[in-house]
This record gives sequence, C-alpha cells and structure tokens, in this order.
Amino acid sequence: MICPVCKSDMIVVEYKDIELDHCLDCGGVWFDAGELALMLQSLEIAGHGLCLAEIIKFPEAISSEKKRRCPICGHRMKKTILGKEPGTLIDVCDRGDGLWFDGGELAQLLKHLVKSPGKEQNEPQKIINFLGEVFHAQE
Amino acid sequence: MWEQIGSNQRKSVILVVAMALLLVVIGYVLGLYFFGNGMGGLIIALVVWAILNLVGYFQGDSILLGMAKAKKISRDDHPRLYNVVEEMKIASGLEKMPDIYIIDDQALNAFATGRDINKAAVAVTSGLLEKLNRDELQGVIGHELAHIKNRDVLLMTMCSILLGTIVILSWYASRVMFFNAMVGGRRTSSSQGGGGAAQLIILAVALLLMILAPIAAQLIYFAVSRKREYLADASSALYTRYPDGLASALEKLGASTCQLKSANKATAPMYIVNPFRKKGMAASDLSSTHPPISERIRILRAMGGASPSEYDRAYQQIHQKGGRGIIPGSAISAAGAISLRAASPAAGKKEPGEMQRKRETSDALWKVNKYRTIDCECGTRLRLPPGFRGNRVRCPHCGRTISV
Repeated sequence: MICPVCKSDMIVVEYKDIELDHCLDCGGVWFDAGELALMLQSLEIAGHGLCLAEIIKFPEAISSEKKRRCPICGHRMKKTILGKEPGTLIDVCDRGDGLWFDGGELAQLLKHLVKSPGKEQNEPQKIINFLGEVFHAQE
Repeated sequence: MWEQIGSNQRKSVILVVAMALLLVVIGYVLGLYFFGNGMGGLIIALVVWAILNLVGYFQGDSILLGMAKAKKISRDDHPRLYNVVEEMKIASGLEKMPDIYIIDDQALNAFATGRDINKAAVAVTSGLLEKLNRDELQGVIGHELAHIKNRDVLLMTMCSILLGTIVILSWYASRVMFFNAMVGGRRTSSSQGGGGAAQLIILAVALLLMILAPIAAQLIYFAVSRKREYLADASSALYTRYPDGLASALEKLGASTCQLKSANKATAPMYIVNPFRKKGMAASDLSSTHPPISERIRILRAMGGASPSEYDRAYQQIHQKGGRGIIPGSAISAAGAISLRAASPAAGKKEPGEMQRKRETSDALWKVNKYRTIDCECGTRLRLPPGFRGNRVRCPHCGRTISV
C-alpha cells in the first residue's frame, strides 16, 4: 500500500495475527478496517464491528494539518481526535476503509503511553494500547 | 454445444434471437437514415459485431479478469481454496481444472469465465474467502463451476457482445446525428426539399430505436441471465449434495452491504450475486440480473434431496403457481434421486476460524503480489514490498535490526 503522506510503499507489520501497514520513511501507520474489526473481536466477544462506524461519527477536529487521502479509496479523510487527554489527532476514512496515524502523532502517543498507560477499557483506548504494544520499540 | 446451451431452454434461444434481430433492425434503420441505404448500415452493424466477437472470444476472459483486478493463484498460495475447487471440479465432471483467481476486495462475490470448459477460470474475492466456511465456499464454487459446465459463460458472453454492439451503435449514431444537426443540418434540408415526409419518418424511427434498443437489449440480457442462475444453483446442490451450504453462503452474501469496487454493468451478470445490490432494494424487478437472493435461499432450504428434480419441486412449491418449473427436463432426467449429505464434520480436519481464514487469504495475496516475508525473533512478522530497497529493516516491536 502507498503511504498517504510520503507516497512511498509501506511495509506490513503482522503482530498477534493483526496486520498493520507501516511507513518506514515517515513512521505513519494505517489500520485497515477489516484488521481493526478482527483485533477488537479477538479482545472481546460482544460489541465488535461497530467501532470504526463510531469513530467516523466523532466530531471533526479543527487542525491546520494537511488533509490526507485514504490509501484505499483515494477520498479525503476526516480529522478527528481519538482517546482522551490529550488525545491523538488521526485521519479516518469516512467510507469506512480504515484509520491513519501520522508518524509524529504515533510517537507522541507512545511517549504518553509509557508515562501513563491507558486504563480505560473503551474501544478507542484499546486501539491506542494495541498500537503502543506493536510499536513498542518505536519512540 | 447448442444442444447443451439450449437444452430444452427454447426461451433462452428465442431471447438471444430477439436480441440479434434487434441488432439487425437498428443497423438497417440507421443505414437508411445516414446513407439512404439500409444494407450499408446492416453491414456496418455486423462488422462491428464480428470485431467485438473476435475480441470477446479470444481476449474476453483476460479482459474481464483484468478489469476485476483478479490475481491468479496456485495450489501453494491458498491450499484450501484450491482443494475446494478440485473437489467441485471432480463432482461436476469437468475435465480440466479451471484457473483460480483472487480479487483483493472486502465485498463478498465470485464469478466464472472462459469461453470453453477446458479453458475456464473462477475468481473469488478475498472477503468471500474470509467470511465463508468450507461448506459455504463449496456451494459458491459449485455454483460457479456449474456456470462453466452448463456453458453459461459462452452464452452470456455472446449476449453481452450483442448488447454491447447495440449500445455502441446507438451511442455513436446519436453523436453523429447531433453533430450533423449542428454542422450540416441547414445544407441537407435545403438540398433535399422534397421527400421530407419519408425522411422524417425514418428519422423518428431511428431516434426511437436509438433510445429503446439498448434498453430492450438490456432487459433481454437480464432475463437470460436470471434463468441461468437458477440452473447453476440447482447444479451446485447436486455437486455438493448439501444445498444448505450454498443457502447459508447466500445469506452471508446478502447481508453484506459492501459493494465490489471493480464491477461494472456489463460484467454484473457474471457474479454470483448482483454486485450493485443496495440495502433494501426491491430486488425482484425486470432490470435485475439475478433472482432475489431471499428466493434462491428459500428454494435451496426447501430441498429434500440434492437432485435437480428436487430443486424443481422446491421452486414450484415456493412459487405455488403450479405448472412449469425452472429446470430443463434434460437436466432432471439425467440424474436420479440423490440424497443429501450431512454438514461437514467438525472433527477430523479442523475448520479454520475467521482470523485464520483472514491470515490465510492475506498470505496468498502477499505471495501473489511478491512481498517478501521476514519473521522477527520476537514473533512479529514483517512483509516487505517488492520495491523495497536497503538491506536491513528494524523491527518496530522489539527494535532488533534484521538484515534482509
């Protein structure tokens, strides 16, 4: 898959049977909708499959960051905030193809997780925790 | 060949002939309008048709597979799928193993192609491989191989070429007509003062045909295609001896609202379910290429045996009109009573779960897309795109540097 930021070919990181697309140049991560559903499904039995649809409904975040295009459908993605205090600015494909985490945002998120691991067990937090686990060595 | 395509299906043949007639008439009328000579138009129509036929015959399957962005796989890429196709190939009595293609798309769909039964291909989407269990997959593959075995692919290709010719002719004629009206309209009307009435009638007929012919041809095309779906369902039940498998696959296909990205109108009848179906769409109308899924499921579920005659009985029971069935007599008499089998036993070979099926399918796709796989000692697996440069990569999970 092509990185929506720097247009280079991303590598695939498979961890605990979940695949993530990762750009080695900018450090960004693409979380595909199908993989996201599988990940949430493997963590719990009920209430899966709704998460991405919920994230799409989150309010649009005001940001000066450039709009990114979904690497799957090519349409512009929506900026929104995932998680609480301080939250991570992410891009979500409103056609439901997946989520994009910028390299810088991911690094911040990881730093924050090291300081205070997320205790809340809602779905956005689970996504953040999972990313933190996979990109353990990425600071 | 004709005997098998049209075996007792005089209706299909009549519909195809009607379509051919439509082509002849539109060619003739357009010729009359443009050159004042019907034969000229007729010849042009036939030449266009012949060219499209040649292209369709020799290149049709590769064009279709290319348009669907299908990737060919081998036995090692996806053993489970290969195995199911092999089983169904034996059950259907096909002589040669069809090529197998995967379409990287989360929608659930499948189609078969190939002009003759020894050079056929079946394509399934990756979503289908992830969501269906073995019995369901068998039902779907059985349905597709039945299309190949019943020569539906050839019939539908011919129909779609006829349809394509009619659409192309009407489209270009309307552009030319428009252009003439803009540029040379005044000149023709002044030079041909007399005979205006005849000219006007031809113009009216030509206009009418240009609008109606593509629509009529499309309706005929859809009618032919719907009929073949029932027969393919019945054949699938016969091959698998387990109609519930296909029924439950159709349930899953019907419940999924994901649309296939690479489908278009001309290729729609090739798929197992209509790729353009929307939620809550009234499926049972003239313009649908497939019978409503709910009806196909009810027929399959009502079957007490696996023979085509049993399918026919179930069809009549659902429709309750009495009278005629849907399966040609030759297909019924060819097979006696066949009992159903039980669902695949859970013991023995373990059925892979959704997670395993997903990994199995994406493994196959990475392989055909030539990604390199690297396993890190920490258990993380990295896949590098074919264009990857550099000789080492750092594992993002444990931080080890792995040389490629």
